[in-house]
Amino acid sequence: MDEGGQTRGKTLSMSDLLFNFTEWLRTTFLVDFSLWISDTSLSMWLVTHFWAIPIMQVVHILSIAAAFGAILMINLRIFGMAGMDRTFAETERRYTRWIWWALLTLVISGLGMITAEPIRELINPIFWIKMILVIVAILTSLWFHRGVMTKLSTGGAITSGTKGGAVFIIILWCVIMLCGRWIAYAPV
Amino acid sequence: MSLYPEPTNIWESIEYSALGTTIAESTWMFPTLETLHVISFVIVLGTIFVMDLRMLGWTSNKFAVTATAKDTLPWTWGAFVCAAITGLLLFTSKASSYMENPWFIRKLVMIAFAGLNMMYFHFITYRTVTHWDRDASMPFAVKVAGALSLISWVVVVFFGRAIGFTLGIFG
Repeated sequence: MDEGGQTRGKTLSMSDLLFNFTEWLRTTFLVDFSLWISDTSLSMWLVTHFWAIPIMQVVHILSIAAAFGAILMINLRIFGMAGMDRTFAETERRYTRWIWWALLTLVISGLGMITAEPIRELINPIFWIKMILVIVAILTSLWFHRGVMTKLSTGGAITSGTKGGAVFIIILWCVIMLCGRWIAYAPV
Repeated sequence: MSLYPEPTNIWESIEYSALGTTIAESTWMFPTLETLHVISFVIVLGTIFVMDLRMLGWTSNKFAVTATAKDTLPWTWGAFVCAAITGLLLFTSKASSYMENPWFIRKLVMIAFAGLNMMYFHFITYRTVTHWDRDASMPFAVKVAGALSLISWVVVVFFGRAIGFTLGIFG
């Protein structure tokens, strides 16, 4: 009663929050915009071809795998758990390019999925939470890795703060993947 | 007492077990397990790609193959174990539907193929690694193993997604 009741209360308020977010999204221009997208011939082509959506999802998953593998290698280098045969700068140079290319294919496949199912994505609170987190993750990574590079090139050492930053970025990307999966389960 | 019919085969027994029905009846367990499954196999794929691209001689060519293997393999294996456990739990909740789904069977076959390819590479081809460890261009057998690995994991992801889109339309 007590414990379970509390947990249930919390779950309810969380879904209430998401529900209210959805209600608000329904009052914005996004509804008309989504309807306009779903009327385009590209959107119609995508929804009438059974394998189009799963294939875009496959591209999206493969791209996040390539990006996350690279993100993991860079941040593990900070922990001294990978790439110890090379400098941080060499690790950065080896993997950053792959993150950018993977982000490009993530955006393209993501736009494709929005085009196919605009209401499911754009009138979805978890989708917007995910988009905000993606922007935060990209900006934090750029700022953080640039900081680590400057620090190391000027003779600085890796501190526990640096390690905390690396863990934060890895967790952030995991939460982004979590949101990606939960878009399908959002209370819309 | 049970709301479920008597199981007629092993897959139904799994599905109607306490574990299977708990996952199936819960609103959050299946999506949560799916999320953990996705994060796990994304790590599996991401680290395998790093290794495969080195084996193909496309990236990290300045660095030793053994160093790349040391960076990636513990993560590949750790994440693979997580993906297998979460995958098994997902399977438990709808065992008979999965067994009737051809894409599920194809996915298992493809994972087995990727595993065999990896074992052949590790136990046969890798024995001579000291001769080509630091080479920019890899021997033909290494390139073939890298290419087969890359292709088979891409196909595994496709089959995995195909299961999600076809579950329930077979059988």
